[in-house]
Formats: sequence, structure tokens, C-alpha cells
Amino acid sequence: MPTTTARVPFTVVLPRAVQRSLDIVRAAPIIPLLVLTILGFAAVFAPVLAPHDKLQPVTPTAAQCQARFGFPDCPYVDGMPPFWYAQGSLHTPLGTDYLGRDILSRLSYGARISLVVGITGTLVAGIIGTLLGIVAGYMGKWWDQIIMRITDAWLTLPSLVFAILLSSIRGPGLWNVVLILALVFWSRYTRVVRGEVLSLREREFVKLAEVNGVSRLAIIFRHLLPNVMNTVMVVFSLQVGISIIIEASLSFLGVGVPPPEPSWGLMMAQERESLMEGKWWLAVFPGICIMLLVLAANLMGDWLRVRLDPQLRNR
Amino acid sequence: MARYILTRAFYSLVTLWLLVTIVFGMVRLTGDPVKMHSEVGADKAYLDELRRRWGLDRPLHVQYLSFMSGLAQGDFGYSFAKSLKVRDIYLDRLPNSLKLGFGAFIISLALGIPLGMLSAIKVNTSWDSVGKVFALLGLSLPGFFVGLVLIIVFGVELGWLPVMGKGEHWWDWRHLLMPAFALGWYFSGAMVRITRSSMLEVLGSDYIKLVRLKGVPEWVVMALHAFKNSMIPVLTLAGLNLLIMVNVAVVIEVIFNWPGVGQLLYDGLTNRDFPMVQGVVLMAGIMIVVLNFVIDILYAYVDPRIRLSR
Amino acid sequence: MSKEIVTLLAVLGALFIAASGEAVSATSTSILAGPLAQLDIKDAEIAPTRGVPKGTFTIAQHFALDPTWLDPQDHIVALTQQHYDYLVHDAMVKTMPQGLLTYSLAEHAEATTDFTKVAFRLRQGLKFHDGQPLTTADVAWSYQNYRGVSAKLFKDKLDSRRPDGGIERVDDRIIIFHFKEPFLDFMDLYSGASTGIGWILPKHYYEQVGPASFKERPLGAGPFKFVSQQAGVEMVFEAWDEYWRKSPAVKTIIVKGIRDPSSRLAGLQTGALDLAYGMTGRVLKTVMKDPNLRWDPNFTGPWWLMFPGYQEPSSPFHDKRVRQAISLALNRKFLSQQETEGIGPPTGNWIGPEYSSALRTPEDLPVPEYDPAQAKKLLAAAGYPNGLDLEWLVPFPPYYDYGERILTDLRAVGIRAKLQTLEGPVFRSKTGQGRKGYEGNRTIVLNIGPRPGGAKDSIWVYAICDSPSAVICEPAIEERWKRHEASVDPEERDRLIKEIQRMILAEYYFVPIYVNPFVHAVGPRVLPAGDAPPGEGFHRYWATSQAPYPYPWEDWQVKE
Repeated sequence: MPTTTARVPFTVVLPRAVQRSLDIVRAAPIIPLLVLTILGFAAVFAPVLAPHDKLQPVTPTAAQCQARFGFPDCPYVDGMPPFWYAQGSLHTPLGTDYLGRDILSRLSYGARISLVVGITGTLVAGIIGTLLGIVAGYMGKWWDQIIMRITDAWLTLPSLVFAILLSSIRGPGLWNVVLILALVFWSRYTRVVRGEVLSLREREFVKLAEVNGVSRLAIIFRHLLPNVMNTVMVVFSLQVGISIIIEASLSFLGVGVPPPEPSWGLMMAQERESLMEGKWWLAVFPGICIMLLVLAANLMGDWLRVRLDPQLRNR
Repeated sequence: MARYILTRAFYSLVTLWLLVTIVFGMVRLTGDPVKMHSEVGADKAYLDELRRRWGLDRPLHVQYLSFMSGLAQGDFGYSFAKSLKVRDIYLDRLPNSLKLGFGAFIISLALGIPLGMLSAIKVNTSWDSVGKVFALLGLSLPGFFVGLVLIIVFGVELGWLPVMGKGEHWWDWRHLLMPAFALGWYFSGAMVRITRSSMLEVLGSDYIKLVRLKGVPEWVVMALHAFKNSMIPVLTLAGLNLLIMVNVAVVIEVIFNWPGVGQLLYDGLTNRDFPMVQGVVLMAGIMIVVLNFVIDILYAYVDPRIRLSR
Repeated sequence: MSKEIVTLLAVLGALFIAASGEAVSATSTSILAGPLAQLDIKDAEIAPTRGVPKGTFTIAQHFALDPTWLDPQDHIVALTQQHYDYLVHDAMVKTMPQGLLTYSLAEHAEATTDFTKVAFRLRQGLKFHDGQPLTTADVAWSYQNYRGVSAKLFKDKLDSRRPDGGIERVDDRIIIFHFKEPFLDFMDLYSGASTGIGWILPKHYYEQVGPASFKERPLGAGPFKFVSQQAGVEMVFEAWDEYWRKSPAVKTIIVKGIRDPSSRLAGLQTGALDLAYGMTGRVLKTVMKDPNLRWDPNFTGPWWLMFPGYQEPSSPFHDKRVRQAISLALNRKFLSQQETEGIGPPTGNWIGPEYSSALRTPEDLPVPEYDPAQAKKLLAAAGYPNGLDLEWLVPFPPYYDYGERILTDLRAVGIRAKLQTLEGPVFRSKTGQGRKGYEGNRTIVLNIGPRPGGAKDSIWVYAICDSPSAVICEPAIEERWKRHEASVDPEERDRLIKEIQRMILAEYYFVPIYVNPFVHAVGPRVLPAGDAPPGEGFHRYWATSQAPYPYPWEDWQVKE
């Protein structure tokens, strides 16, 4: 008598948290995640991955010197085109800049700057803004009035104008830019968070905690904060893109990250004159990098927004 | 309604006052403008005279009061670097920025609204994705990058468009095209989004269902009813964006050498020209506060709950 | 018959002698009594015929325009203002192609040998743009009300004990300045090339409109009238065909402020601009390749490195070997190649070769060597075998690329620093404060600064302890400077100035690099000057020595 073994499907029962995380990952948009991962990887592992130094020019061969200047001994060869041109070489795949430095290496170090500045700046802005928003929404009365008036005033200034103004106080510098971003953008969080808190504060679990004599500080941190995190994360994800563009704009104007650091905005500014010579790639490659990073950040932000805000999910 | 207007006016004034004070303080933190003129070879007597002429030897609160009282009369003081009245220089340049802003505004609407509507009508199809991607691209490309690419392609390579300046006559549209596009592109992304969401809301509303039930042809529904009703939030945002465009065009103005107020700000900052910086930043703030106030009032008027209240 | 003829001839002859005697005595009647100093002032070149101004000439200034430049009473230190002085105004004496000091509004000047009195005689029939006559009243007024650079010096030197305050107006054309002590440098400083006090302004108009309105609508006696301006952006001028020297060759001059070199280049290529300044760096390559454009090297002065705070023992620059190592580390030929296509010659002096009493390369000084191996040895001997970490290299704005190239050269011998990019006014302000302008003593500053007063002016500004912008303060130099100031013998003064230069350069207090060509480029519409041959003839526009800009403007010609 043939026996058929019942085929019990082999299932792995994972803990719920892991299961939910996997669900999220499976639903996540692949392309932006991939782009972010690649850029993040390039940023973190730049010293290992980059073929050359970010500051030192690439040592040229005698043949390259001869071809460029007419004498065989030169410190560096500037303006070499990408490898798909005749004068380019795979040694410097995207070409060299006006100081003979390898562009690919500088682009990957530049990813560091953009990511660090974009994320840290927005993070600090988020912390300040969220706390102020909670205080304004929850404490009410004078706190609310003062904080909201200041926030309103802060919000009237266009961010680039404000950033340039602040940069002239602090001067150029990577951490100065982070500080500037934090100071310019905190107000974006405050307004939104305050709105959330205003409605949260009427909810039962908050009222219950108050009745039970839980301290206001504890209410803020244990009840309000976790519940505004969804909104905060949405704002955060949208702000990262804007922050990166502001940093690039500041560096472009010369008041952001100073040379010789390879900030993408700075690289574009330095190579504007090369455009007239026809060496378009020097200014365009950093721009493409900015575009990819911001696009990926914005796509992630959009996806997060849809996920976290149930009303939008079916749009 | 009257009470509402008064309260909002009061809030606006408070915001303005805060703005002015904040800017006054920050501008003075940026450094000593007299020292900016202490070139190699300048003697102390000359510098002291400059300090006196610019009123910087007075105590801070005196400078503040004199600044505020000047503001009340519409006087922003004299530019340190350009010696003329800030107000005159600003008003001289403002039309240029308005021209650029308006051009960008038109472009952002021309690109954004049709795409947003298309996205909404063909929601969740590939057209919708096209719209979404376009919006995102707009928001992801910094204006100066777009400007540089346009310069390379249309200015240098093809030679179709001039790469700098404003043009001699006010009808010189060729100079305007590239900077307006570079500026407007970023905002067209926002336009797509808000048109799309506003349109979706209107399309799902009862009013539209009723109109359809009445047998009105579909294209009339779209072109007339849906379009008209979805435009309110779109135009509100567009109006706000116009003002922002006028003021944040700094980088575009620098790239294209467009003589607008953004360049004034940049020049003013590098020269530590307090009155100029104060003037430009304040004008930006004032314009936005006033516009916000007007929008608030308009919305209140449209909303009968407020209009009919005391 | 013959008697009448002889009488007639005698009368005619007598008249002739009397007339020529008159003419001779008119020019040889001294204004001042006593022995007179030899003044090296050249005569002006007045055009024999007056032409008709034609065409529009557009100039691109490499930064935003400042209406203050239209008012010589508020003359600034920088040489930029002269660009506009020569357009709208005229001076008693000024620098022209004819010479460093050339008669302009004045046709004759005298000074006593001790320089306590200086006299001028104005030309006949001078006017301002509005037709009002230009007289010594305006000259005196311009002197007394001057507020710009060196104002205090000029006012203090006047002999105030006199009832007229030191300015004696003999008549409408002759004026005498009386000083309380010898003022040997008066003529150099009074020249329009140095300060604003010699640029004569209309008293009647200035007092009527005031300083602020004057800057909005200036009025002068120069070859061009002011038409209109858009503050910071553009200024428009029109030829004044009643100018005493000649009728300007162009009808309209438009000056635009265009900060960006690629925009200036684009303007030249499209014909929107005729003359553009500062075409250096990467745009220079394109300018040289373009057959429609022509350029003039327009050497201004040498670049050099300074070390604020080198005197302090804690500074790494305190050791001469470190400074010498820095000099040896610079590949001047390659730097010049990269920045100026090799046009700028490496030099051994921080003062330009065409300035008075300057030591020249290679006649007086050798071209500095490039020897990175030796540089490393010197650094090791000075106690830095593994290289040296400095704080900042601050380049003169906007030559940030140049700063980076220098950093690359220094890094090759083990010296590491970061680039500090400052905006123009910030840099000038810090450098203007000398040693005090820079914090710490581990900063290198890349500077350039041609000064119209010659080598002694460059020394006075940077190397004399009392100067507000001093970076060098050494007793040996001070001692020689005191002797220089006390001396009235021009040869001894010249010798002392050259000694001071040698000391500074031998000790590497300053490390010169190459002479900067601040290239000016012209478009195809510019015609060669005067009757010069086509092709290179346009270089004649830059014939004025020590001038940062190609004035005089009335000589420029463009196609219509």
C-alpha cells in the first residue's frame, strides 16, 4: 500500500519583530534603497574603495606629461577626461580636475560630506524642533505663544537666505554648516509637531496619565514623544534632501565646506570655468551625484510618508 | 470677521517685529564693517571717520532705536558699500528679481499643473508614476545644477541663448529663459504634487459625482469643474512660491549674472554691508508676512464660519 | 622809400622781439622766489585737431561697482577708484603714457628746493561739464574738504600759521601751497595716481548737492560725462567733446560689474563686451586660443608669501631655514604655467621691477631656486624631519585655485596646511591690520600689492614697525629707514631702500613667486590705438606705466 507522507510545508516561525521588519523590507522601494546603500557604502568605505587620495594629485606618467605640456616631468596633469575619451585612462576613470586629482575618489569622499552634513544637520534640527513643538503644544499658554511667534518669524525667512546670513557669522566649515542647517530648519518640525501634540493631548491615555499624577516630563517622553515620531520621521526624510541641497548651495557660493575638501557643491563651483573650455564632466558629475542622493532620499521619504500615514496609503 | 482680522494683523506685526530684531542682531554678529575697509595703507583717522559716519560708534540700543524709527518711515539707511540709500538700490533691482521670479512662476505652473492633472486623472497608472517621478526630479535637482547644464547645452554648445546678464530691453526674453527655467524647475515639482492631490480630492467629491450624474460630458467635467475647483490650494501655494522664488534666486542670479536682489544680498554679506543685508532680508520677510496675512484673510472670507462671526 | 621800409621793419622787429619776450617771460616768470627743485613732470599731449566721438565701448569690471568711486573726495586706498577718476574727473598732475607725472589741469608747477612751497598754474579756459569755469577756488576747496585716504597728512602739513591757512590763491589760475616743514613726497602723493586730493571737483555743484547726491550724479572736468548708473551693476558715461586735451574717440562708455570670469569671457566672445579684466586662470587658455580675442599681459606686481608672527619664538617660521625651505619648495615655473600659461616670470623681489628703487630680477637678484630635496633637508635640520603641520594658507581672493596649487607644492616636501578662503573685503581688512590681522603664528598669507609710491612705499606699508599693516619689524630695517627719512640726498635714499630690500629677501621674510599678469582681454571691435599697425597696435592702450587699468580713456577707439 503506497504511503503518501503528508507534505507539511517547512515553515520557520520567526519572532514577530523580525517578521515585521522583513515585511517592511520586502515592501520597500528597491531602487532608492539601492542607491542609498551604494552611496552610503562609498561614503563609509571611501578610504578603502577610492583608487586615489582626495587631496593629492595623481602622479602622472612621463608620457602623459609630455602629451599635455610638452615636457616629460610635471607634478600633475590636470583636466584629463573620463576614460571613454581618447586622452582619458582607466587609471583615473572619471578624469582629473584642475589640480590633477582623481574625480572618482573625490566624489566618493564627497559622499561622506553630503551624508554627514545632511543627516546630522537634519537630526539636530529635528531634536530641537520636536522638543520645542512638544513643549509648545503640551504646555500651552505663554510657552505656546512665545515659541510659536518665534517659529513664525523664523519660518518667514527663506531658508537659503537665512543660511547665507548665518554662514557669514560663523564662516565656512563642515560643522558650521551642520550648525547652520540645524538653526535654519528646526522651525519646520516645531509647527507640525505642535499640531500633533494639540490633538494628542486630548486623548485618553494622556488624560489618564495626568490623572494618575505622572510628571509632565514623563508624559512628554513616554507618551507624547513616541506618538509624534511618525510625523517627525516623515518631516525628517523630506528635510534630508533639502539639507543636502542647501549645503551644496552654500559650498557653491563659497560659504559652506571650504576647499580642499571635496564637497560636491564646491566641486561644481570650482569647475564653472572649465565649462567654457568644454570640459563639462568636471561640473556635471558632482551634480549627478547630488541628484541621485537627493532623489533617493526623497523617494524613501515618500514611501515612509505613505506607510506611516494611513490616510495617504490608498492614494 | 473684524475681530479675526485684527487678531491676525496683531500676530503679523509681532512676527514682523521679531523678524526685524532677529535680523538686526544677527547682522551685527557677522563682523565689523569698518574693519572691512581697513585696507593696507588706510590710517586710523580715516577708519574712525568711517565709523562715525556709519553710526557704528553709537551704543547698540541707540543704533537699534534709530534703525526701528527709520524703518517706520520706510528708510532702510545708507548702504556702506554703495553709499546710496538702500531703499533706492533695492527698488531699482527689485523689478529684475520680479521679472525672474515671474518667469519662473509661469514655468513652474506650465510644467507642474498639466502634469499634476494628468497624474490625478490617470491615477495609479504609469502616467501617474511619470508625474511622480517628474515631481521628485524637480525637487532633487539643485537649481544651480540645472542652470549649469542649461548653460553648457544651450549657451556654450548650441549657442542658442545668451549666458549672462539681463538683456538691454525689458522684452528680451532670451536672457530670461534659462535662469527662469533653472529657478522654476524646482518649484514645478511641488506644483505637480499639490495639483495632483488637490485634483484627486475634487474628483472624489460629491460635487463632481453630481455633475457627472447630470450627464455633462467628461471633458467638460475635467476642464471646467474639476480644474476650477482644484486651483485654490494650487494657486495659494504658487503665490507663496512666487515670493520665495523672488528671494531665493541668489545662486541663480550669481550663475547667470542676473542683477537682482539676491546678488545685493550676496554682495552685502561679503562687504559686511549691514544696512543692505538688513534691507534685503527684511523686505523678503515683510513680503512673506504680508502675503500670509492676505491669504489668511481671503481664506477667512471664503469660510463662512469666520466671515459671519463677530 | 628805404627809410620807411627800414622803420617798418624796425617796428615790426621791435614788436616781434617784444612779443616773443612777452611769451618767453610768461613761461619763465617764476611763481616762487628762490632756488627751485627739479621737477620731473612731463608735458601733456594735446591733440592738434578735434575729432568726433563714435561708437560704444563696453567694459567689464571684475567685481560689483561702487558709486563711492565716483567721488574723489572719499578716495579709497585701492587702485580701483582711479579707473573712474580718469573717466569723469581730471587732476592737476597725473600718470599718463607720457610719464609718471604729467601735467593735466596744471600746465606748470614749481617747488622750492626744500619743498616747503609748491605752486601750480592752471591752463587757460578750463571748465567743468556744466560749463562753469574751473579755477583755483575749486583746487583750494578740493584740498580743504578732502576726506579720503591720507587726508590728515595733507591737512597737517599745511602751514596753518598763515592767515590763508597755507593755501594761497594768487589769482584764478595760480595757487601756492605753503607747508610748515619740507614735504618731499608731496608731488608723488598729490598725483592723481596716488590719492584723491589732486582730482579737482566743482565747489559750486558739490556744495549744492552734498556728498550723497554727488555719488549718485557726479560732475567733473574729465573727458567723459556721467550719464546714469544702476548701483552695483552698470554705469554709463558719454564723451565730453570740450575736454582740453582732445575730443574722446568713443562716444559712450558702459562699465558693467561682472564678477564671474566665465561670464566675462562669454561676453567678449559674443561681442557684448569689448574690454574685460582679470582673464586669468583657466579662462586664459580659452582667451589665447580664440582668434577673435586679443589680450595684454598687464603686469601688476609680484605674488609673495608672508608669515605673520614669524618674530615670535613659538612660530615655526621663526627659523630662517623653514622660510627658506618654503621658498625652495615652490615650483614657480609650473605654478606660472598653470595659472598664467607661463606668462608671469618668476621673480626674486616682492616689489615689481618697474617701480622706483626696486631691485630687479635677474640683474640685481637671482631667480629663486626650486629644490624640494634641499627643502626637506632644511626642514629636517630645523627640527621637522617628518614634515610640519601649519594652520592656514590664506590666498588673495579669488585666487583660491592658486592657493591650492601652492598647498600641493608644500605638501610634496611635508608641509601641511588647510586653505582658508576669505572674501575680498575680509582678506583686505585682515591684511590691512598687518600682523594683528591674523591669529596665531602658523599661517601663510599669499599677497599681492603694487603700490604707486615705488619701492619705498611697499617697504613703509609692510616692513616698518609703525605701519598699521606691518608684518616685518626688525631693528636693522628701522635704523636704515630712519636714515632714509632724515636724508634729502636722493642717491643715499635710493641706496638705503635697496639695502632694506636685500635684507628682507636674503632673510626670506617675504618669499616672492612670480610677477602677476592681470590679463586684460579685448574683443574684435576694439581698434588699434592711434595710427599703430594692425595686430599688435592695441597694446598701446596699456602704455601708462604702473597703471592697473588701461587709461587714458579718451584714446580708446572702437568700430561703430
